[in-house]
Parts: sequence; C-alpha cells; structure tokens
Amino acid sequence: MDDAAAIEKVQNGEREAFRYLVESYQNQAVVHAVAILRNREDAEDAAQDAFIDAFRALKNFDKTRRFYPWFYVLLRNRCYKTAAKRHETETVEEMEIIAPQTGLPREEQIALEAALARLSGEDREIITLKYLDGLSYDELSRLLEIPRGTVMSRLFYARRAMQANLEKKL
Amino acid sequence: MRKENCEEILMALMAVFDGETTEYTPEQLNAHTANCAGCRAEIDELQNTFALLKNQERREQNVNLWSSIEPQIETEKQTNWRPFAFLGVFLVVYKLLEMIPASDFGFVFKIVPLVVVIALFVFLKENPFRINTELVWRNEYE
Repeated sequence: MDDAAAIEKVQNGEREAFRYLVESYQNQAVVHAVAILRNREDAEDAAQDAFIDAFRALKNFDKTRRFYPWFYVLLRNRCYKTAAKRHETETVEEMEIIAPQTGLPREEQIALEAALARLSGEDREIITLKYLDGLSYDELSRLLEIPRGTVMSRLFYARRAMQANLEKKL
Repeated sequence: MRKENCEEILMALMAVFDGETTEYTPEQLNAHTANCAGCRAEIDELQNTFALLKNQERREQNVNLWSSIEPQIETEKQTNWRPFAFLGVFLVVYKLLEMIPASDFGFVFKIVPLVVVIALFVFLKENPFRINTELVWRNEYE
C-alpha cells in the first residue's frame, strides 16, 4: 500500500488504513515536533493531536498533494498551540535535536545544541529544516506556506541569532 | 564602512552557500565583499557555523502513536445519510398513496408507520423503553 491508496481507503471509511499513514510518519512527525518544542512528551502529544486533525480533514484532502507536507502544517499548528499553552515558569525536560556523531567533537556538538536550544521555536524550526533535513528554499516556502523571499529573510535572521548564541556560549 | 545593502548581500551570499540562486551575479557579490570588511567577517563566521550544522543529522525518535490514536478515531462517527434519505422518500410515497380518495390497501398498509418506527429504533440501536437509571438515581437522592 502507498500513501494515495491509504488515503483513498480512509476517505471510503476504512479507518484501519489510517494506521498505515500513522506508522509511516509518526517518527518523522515526533522528530519535527521535538525541534519546535524541545520536549518528547509535548512532541508526542502534538503529533498525536495532529494525526487526529488529519483524520478529520482527510475527506477534503487534495489527492494531487503529498501527504506529509500537508500534514506538517497541521503538526506545526499543534506544536505552536502547545508552546503557547506552556507557562513561562514551567520547566520542561529538554531533548537534544542533533544525533550524536563520532565525526564531530562532543564539545562542538554541545555548543551547536545549546545555540539551537536558545533560538525561538520558529527560528529553530527553519534552521533544522534547512540544515538537518536539507530542504531547498522552494521546499521550505511550500512547507511553511511563506514566499521564497520570506524564507531567505527568516533564515538570515535565524542564522544571525544562532551565531550570536554560539558567540555568547564561547 | 558598511553599505546600505549589506543585509541583502549577506542573504544572497548565504543563499549561494545553500546552493540557491539569487538576483545578484557572482561578480556583484565578490565586488561587495572585496570592499566590505564587515560582510567578509560575518559571512566567514556564518559559513563556518552552518557548514558544521549541515553535516549533522537529526536525533531519531521511535514512537508508537497508533495505540493512542486508534481509540480516539473509533469514536469519530461518520454519518451515513443514505438510509435517512431513503426513509424520507418512502414516507412521502406512503403519504401520497394514503391520500388517494376511497383507497383501501388493507391492514398491512396501515401498520407500515409502526414497522418503520420499530425499524428506525433497531437501526439506531436505541431502546425507546429504556429508563435512564442515572436520572432516576439523581432525582431520588439529590
């Protein structure tokens, strides 16, 4: 089964077919939610709610589109709602975003991780989509539903903020 | 001293670093950086940092969300209007037949509304004689 077949089955009332979509994208969704929320529990809740939103909205899904970019819009809405609900004083157990690698000295990885952690959710989202997922400006534009020029400027200010965070750390 | 379009040039330089096209030609970008020490310093720093980040990968997550999602979508009711539309048409036809003057279709015809009501309750899985014990309890003890 592929995404299109699963979506068609869900649209025809076969709820079990939705399992295929959840199992195909749940890890990716939580990874992306962690990049915005920095907390595993919140990320899982946001992803779960986004899948339920997707199930409800699938009947109007345009079959010419790919599932994940469409779903990502629902996911990030859920993430920002969760982030807004958090109280300023609330401390959350923060998750690391970058995979541990042998190629990079641990100190440098910690510095990058800390610089990412100090960014706003939106800046962290665009930086990780660009540099960890390797999306092009056009792909970012479609995914975040903003013009290409806005992608360029948002990336620019996010990079500056990250560079400033790195310098503060050093 | 930095020129007014330094931010635009830096954006364009980072776009080139990211493998994207910009409205500036390489000659324009080179000419600017050759004369702007501020841009040269900033672009070097940014490119060093993001070259490092470019080689990293996201930390993987392994989750199983289906077990929590399934019970929630099970409760999502999808209303099938077809049986209700059929019933509506059926009742209209019945009423029109009933209105024919001096017509007598016999006993079976007369009990059709009763059969329809029973069938409706069976279809909706509702017992019309069920007593809501929760309400009785509340009225007696509250």
